[in-house]
Parts: sequence; structure tokens; C-alpha cells
Amino acid sequence: MESQGENDELYPIAVLIDELKHDDVLIRLNAIHRVSTIALALGAERTREELIPFLDDSVEDEDEVLTALSEELGNFVEYVGGPEYGHVLLSPLENLAAIEEPLVREKAVESLNKIGEQLSEKQIEEHFIPMVLRLSKADWFTSKVSATGLYCIPYKKSGQALQQSLRQYFGGLVHDDTPMVRRQAANNLAKFVKEMKTPVVIEEMIPLFQYLASDDQDSVRLLTVDILISIAEEIPKEQQPSHGVLLTSLRNLFEDKSWRIAKAVHEEVITRDMVPSFVKLLKDTEAEVRTAIAGQIPGFCSLIDRETLLNEIMTSVEDLVSDPSQHVRAALGTQISGLAPILGKEETIAHLLPMFLQMLKDEFPDVRLHIISKLELVNNVIGIELLSQSLLPAIVQLAEDKQWRVRLAIIEYIPLLASQLGVKFFDEQLSDLCMSWLGDTVFSIREAATQNLRKLTEVFGVDWAKGSIIPKVMAMGQHPNYLYRMTTCFAISTLAPVVSLDIIENSILPILDRLVTDEIPNIRFNVAKSYAVLIDTLRRLPAEGTLANVEGKTATPSPRSQDLIQQRIIPSLEKLQGDDDVDVRYFATTAAGGNDEVMQTSP
Amino acid sequence: MSDLDRAIAQLRACRLIPETQVRELCYKARELLIEEGNVVCVDAPVTICGDIHGQFHDLMELFRVGGDVPDTNYLFMGDFVDRGFYSLESFLLLLCLKVRYPDRITLIRGNHESRQITTVYGFYDECIRKYGSANVWRYCCEVFDYLALGALVLGTSSELEPTGPVMNDSTQTGAVLCVHGGLSPLIDTVDKIRLIDRKQEVPHEGAMCDLLWSDPDEIDGWGLSPRGAGFLFGGDIVKQFNYRNDLSLIARAHQLVMEGYKEMFDGGIVTVWSAPNYCYRCGNVASILELGEDTSNGGTVTRSNGDYGRSNGIMTVDRPGVRSPGRRYRVFEAAAQDTRGMPAKKPVADYFL
Repeated sequence: MESQGENDELYPIAVLIDELKHDDVLIRLNAIHRVSTIALALGAERTREELIPFLDDSVEDEDEVLTALSEELGNFVEYVGGPEYGHVLLSPLENLAAIEEPLVREKAVESLNKIGEQLSEKQIEEHFIPMVLRLSKADWFTSKVSATGLYCIPYKKSGQALQQSLRQYFGGLVHDDTPMVRRQAANNLAKFVKEMKTPVVIEEMIPLFQYLASDDQDSVRLLTVDILISIAEEIPKEQQPSHGVLLTSLRNLFEDKSWRIAKAVHEEVITRDMVPSFVKLLKDTEAEVRTAIAGQIPGFCSLIDRETLLNEIMTSVEDLVSDPSQHVRAALGTQISGLAPILGKEETIAHLLPMFLQMLKDEFPDVRLHIISKLELVNNVIGIELLSQSLLPAIVQLAEDKQWRVRLAIIEYIPLLASQLGVKFFDEQLSDLCMSWLGDTVFSIREAATQNLRKLTEVFGVDWAKGSIIPKVMAMGQHPNYLYRMTTCFAISTLAPVVSLDIIENSILPILDRLVTDEIPNIRFNVAKSYAVLIDTLRRLPAEGTLANVEGKTATPSPRSQDLIQQRIIPSLEKLQGDDDVDVRYFATTAAGGNDEVMQTSP
Repeated sequence: MSDLDRAIAQLRACRLIPETQVRELCYKARELLIEEGNVVCVDAPVTICGDIHGQFHDLMELFRVGGDVPDTNYLFMGDFVDRGFYSLESFLLLLCLKVRYPDRITLIRGNHESRQITTVYGFYDECIRKYGSANVWRYCCEVFDYLALGALVLGTSSELEPTGPVMNDSTQTGAVLCVHGGLSPLIDTVDKIRLIDRKQEVPHEGAMCDLLWSDPDEIDGWGLSPRGAGFLFGGDIVKQFNYRNDLSLIARAHQLVMEGYKEMFDGGIVTVWSAPNYCYRCGNVASILELGEDTSNGGTVTRSNGDYGRSNGIMTVDRPGVRSPGRRYRVFEAAAQDTRGMPAKKPVADYFL
């Protein structure tokens, strides 16, 4: 209280500084967020000389406060007098970068990088790099973890000699004893690599990568996949700078163009250095690592020539087929088909087909499904003939799988297979299978089987349906168990939009007429529901062709179909409206009263 | 689409309906159930299901395997609630279906449909958790009191044309008695069940308690139940009861069976269990029992989800000459994880160190 005048002016600042030391964390936190106000009031010089040293000492606080402080300091360059004084901020941040709490360190590193961007080359050399080296050499791992994130900026801004020593120190971090440091080093190596020139990457970074890839901690190894990507990206960057921007976005390796570009330029580097690492990862002891790398197989293999692939990688891939972990096998299942185009027809038959056959028999359903869902790729390579010869038995076996969800999945592939195989082959090999699904014990399979028939009709046409499908569907209508007779009702509702007037009149209506008098009410009300669909179809159906043919056009419904509604359907519905069972009456009335309100009771 | 159909659609998606709607639903259900006798007569064909225990997604699996309501007729033998995570959704859906399609679905009472049991085994807590008060629990418990104690499935084993509901069912040959637990020493005829005043909380002893609590066992006569309620009963008791009541089969639930179903005493009684991987950890399969329209399509197909009788749906007659219902078990497994709408387990946290 000696000089009142000065105190008046600085009173708000004094309050803030008091608040910075307040007992209540919340108040301190608020004060930190307003610390820039203090700096502004103090001016650049006093900020440098008084505030920063004060903040320097205040690292003994709650993590929350320190996180805020770390963040604030990143924007402080303007308050200390611009970039030429920016280096004074390094000291408090260096302390913060050594704190136990990862969040604080993360923010501190972020802010340091922000400040580093603005510093001159001289400042970097005199202040920033020594700080990074101090952190890298610290005893405790927290500083070293922070250090791993600080190499990119100084590297950009320094000369060759310094770059050399920076790389050396980073190498030290990669070889650190503690896995936390190695993990962060692996994380940051991917970014660091981007700052280097190609020869340096090849000579110095690939060994580092290989060292990390053989780490005994799986969490470290897992991170090396990213490094592999950025190394592969970095190599051609010098030669083809125009692709530099494209390559920065890291996507799924499988589709990433960078792989192919890398192939063109530096095949021998990849073959020499990457293949052994890749094989090593394929043989990793941790299932998670193998799962991750199994997903990269086609992307990586497209980079290398077939000889190397067959000689060095294929055996390891083949081992994965009998991997003890189902997740590895499932990952392999999604990717392995991608090898077919790379291998070509003969090698696919020699190497991939045996693997497919084994995986189709895998006890874990996901593995089998993944294989089937990617069959198209293989088909393009070896042709449907060979595919069906070797794989059809396996597919048939799956179609009879104990798990109904597996059977369901197979049904979904049948139309695709059918369109590729052609009518004749289908009739010989798959037709019986499709019909047997109509009699499956599981309702969902029977339902899917009717959908399948509709799709097949779309593929093979009405005439085929009339000869092959309709008789069998109608035969189901006489099954002694009502749950199967129901299938006929469902099939009629599903097929109606894809068949012709002729089939409705001569095949469908007679069987429905009989089912109207079924003993079981559940059948009778499903007949009513089928009638509703038929009415809707007939109202729009032309004399020739199917509803699908006239889709989009305003077709004139033929008088014959109107007749059918009036003569054949309405009388039956009237009969059903007088049924004993309330549900039959309900559905019959709904069907007769227009089909706007047909209840959808199936899920 | 009526409110009820909307409620059904919502519950099928495993989303709860508002409390006021639950109240209305429960009133409607009570009006329906009060008209039913203690023993409901159900015409074959029907599909019989055992315990559900709040395993909603497995109930959906059951409908996928057996067909949906109203296309398939169902009879659920109690224990809809407790233990599983979705007792409310499961029970309210079944109740909605009952109100919407009273002739297509039958619900009878299990020992867990009781105030005392539900407060201990999870249903009460679930109501509090999901609705914030015990009101819904109270409405549901009132419905529990009105649930029938058993059901007789008619028209299964007769060679004759089924002739609709038969009022004097005890003279009909080959009916199937469905009850949650089993028999009681106090009950020697089905008619005795009809004499019980059922509209009450399940008592600690007596005929009503026994029907919901007893278990069959490989003993002679009656034995003490380790459950502390109900009795154990042997093969001779079952034979006697079936003969006296012209029953061909007793179908019951109440006990976990790893294979989904288990016939005992020369096929005189069967336990049907419909909660696969019970309590999400037992690793058992579940089953439902389809009783055909008449014997012409009869026969037992074991493990129908497996390798038998799937190709053409035509079944072999198990014991020709014996008048037994055409029964067919469909075995199913727990719903796949991806149909459950919740992650299998939390993703492993990316921890530091």
C-alpha cells in the first residue's frame, strides 16, 4: 500500500493474480483463462519478466488448471512481444510437458508446436532444439513422451547437421526402455517421416520401423501399420511431387492409390525392406496384430511382384487360414478374395481355391459368410465354370447348415449365382435346393425362400417360373402342416407382382379357392391377405406381360383382370367375411374394402 | 393403423410404450383374461413355448423360427419376466398380441408372475428403472392375477376331424395339458383345477402353488421339492393322471434343459424351455413345441434345427399306433449379437501406460 496511484491502476491485475493463487480450483481456473488480460495490462516487457517467471513456478497445481494454462500459453506469443521473444514461453511449457497427466502434456506439446512454428531458425537452434533434447534425455518417461511429438517443427527449420542429430535422438526414443515412450515414438514417427528426404527415409527410418515392428509389446506393433503407410507414401514423394497432396489423406490401404504409386517407383525398396516386416507381422504372436495386418493383405500384395508374393508371403497367408483366432480368420475372409486378381487364374486355382474350400468349412459362420460375399472377385478371375465345380459342393453344404442364419445368408446369394450360372445349370444344380428351403423348419428361411423365388423369376422370366416354380409352390399348399401351407400364401403375395395374368388365373386362383375352405383359420386369413395383394396387382395388370414390365407407364388394365376380381376373388372374400373366426373376418373385410389398409403384421 | 398395432410395432422394435398406454392395455387384457377359465381350451394347431424370462431378443428369434403372430398360433407357459434385461418389453409385447389377437395367442401363469418373486428377481427393479415408479409394475401384477393356470390343447391326437371347441374336454381323448410347473397331490382331475379361485397372488402352498412350482423327477410317488414350494412327482403319478384325464401329454416349462426340451416317463411329460443361453450365460439351446392339426402329420422330429427333416418338411411318425399328438420340436439358439442392438462389450479403453 505504499504508492496508492500505481496500485489503483494495477488493482484489477492484483485481483487476478490473487485469484491465480486462490484456494478454490474454479476461481484459479477462471483466472488462468483470463491470464491473457493480465499480460495485456502488464505489457510485453513485464509479461516476459514478471508474469512468465511467475507462471513458471506455478506448475504445482490441479491438472485441470495446468491443462488450461498449457492451452493459453500456446496463444501467448503476441503478449510477450511477438515471435522474436517467443522463446521465453518455452520454459514454462517445458515444465508442463513433464507433468504426469497426459492431457496437460498433450496441450503443452500442442502449444509448443504452435509457438515453434513462429520462431526463427536461430531461435529454434538456440532454444527449441536444446529444449527438445533436454526433454528427450530426461530421466522420467513423461518428458520423453512429450519429446516424441516435438521433432517435426525443428527438423523443418534446421540445417543438415542438426537434422542428423535430431534423427539420432529420435532413434534413441524409439529404442527407449519404456513401452509408453516407444508407443508415442511409433505414433509420431509416421508424422516425422513425412519431413524427411527419401534416401534418409530408406536408410534410417526403415530400420527404426523394423525395430518397432518387432517390439515385444503388441500395442507398439499395432501402431507400426501407420508408419508403414507413411514410409510407403514418402518414398515416391520426391519423384512425383504432384501426388503429394493426394497422398496425405490416409485411407483404407486396400484402395489407397499410394500403394500403387509406390510400386511404380520403389519396388526394390519395398521388396527388400517391407516384405520381411510384413511377414513378421503376419506371424505376430498377438491375434489383434494379425487381424489388423490380415486386412492389409491385398493392398500390400498389389505392390510386390508375383514371385515374391508366392515365395515369401503366400505361405504365411496360408497359415492364417488355420489361425487359432476366429477374428483373424474372419478378417482374412473379407480380404483374401482380393488376391485373386493379383495372382491370376492359375495361381488362384493352385493357392486360393484350397484356402477358400477350407474357409468355407470354418466353424465360425462369419468366416464362411465373408468368403461367400466376396466370391464375385474370384469369379472374374477363374470363371464361373471352375468356380461352380469346386465351390458348389461347399455352397450346397452351407445351404444345409445347422445355423439358420448361415442358410439365410446363402439364400441371399442364390439370385446372384443364378444369373451367372444360367437357367440350365440352375435347374440342374440349384433348383432343388431353392425348393427345399420352402420347407425349411425355420419360418424366416421359408419367408426368405419366397423372396428368393421372386428374384429368380425376375432373373429367368415368367415362362420359366410357370414351369419350374409355380407347380412346386402350389404343391406346398397341400402340405399337411398348416405352417407350410402358409408358405404358399406368402409365396403368392410375393410372386403376384412378377407373374402374368395367365398364371394368376390358371395356377394361383385355383389353389387359393381351395385354401379358402382350409380348416385352420390362420390359413384362411392369410388367403384373405393374398387376395388383397392380387386385387391390387390385377387392377394394374395388362393382358400381356407382368406388372414389372409396365412399371412407370400408365398401362390400361385389361377387362379380363377386372372380371377375375369380380368373378373369382370377391365371392371368396365374401365367404371369408362370414367366417367363424374374428381374425379371418377382419382380414377379409380389409381386403374387400380396398387394399389401402392391409395390415402388415410381419416384422 | 390402430393404437394397438402401433404399440405392437413399437414394442417389436424394443421400445417401450407410455405409461398411460400400459395402463389401458392392462385393463383391456384383464377384461379378456377374466373371461377365460382357469384351464383354457386351445385348438390345435398350436406352438407351445416355455420360459422367456425377459430375453426379448431371443423372443424375437423365437418368432423368426416359429413364424409370427398371428400367422402361427402360440401358447406361452409363463415366466415371461425376471432375470433378463427386457422383461417389460417382452411381457408388454406378448400382452399386446394377446389383446390384438386373442384367439391366436394364449398366455398362462408361471411362478415368476407374482408380486413376491418379481420384487426379488428383477422385474420390479426394471419397472422402477424404466418408468421411474412402481405403477407399471402394479398394473402388470394385476394382470398376472388374471392369467389362466393351465391350458388344454384339443384336436391334436384325434384321428377324427376336429370339431371346434369341445366343452366337455375330459372325455376327449388325447388332449395335451399345458401348465407351468407340474402336478399337485391335491389335484387328481383337470376339473379340480377349474375349481381354484385363481385371481390372487400365488399362495405359498396348495393346489395353485403346486401347479406353478412342481417338477417331475425320477422317483415313485410324491417327493419334497428342493425349491421350497410345490412337489416332486414321479412317472407313476404322471401315468395315472394322464390315464384318468384322457391326456396324451403334459407339457410344462419351469426347468432349464440344456437341449431345449426333454421328454420323461415314456413321453408322458415334456419340459419345453424357450430361453436360449439362459441368463445370457448358461449356453443352452431353446425349443418350441409344435402340435399339429391331427396325427396325419405327426411324429417327433428331434433337433429340427439340425440335420433332420428339414429338406421337405415331411416328418416321420415316431411311434405309430400310439395315440400321441403330432409333436415337433424346433430347437433354436440365442439371437445373434448383431440383432440385439447393443455392443457385446464396451470397446477396450485406450488407457495410458
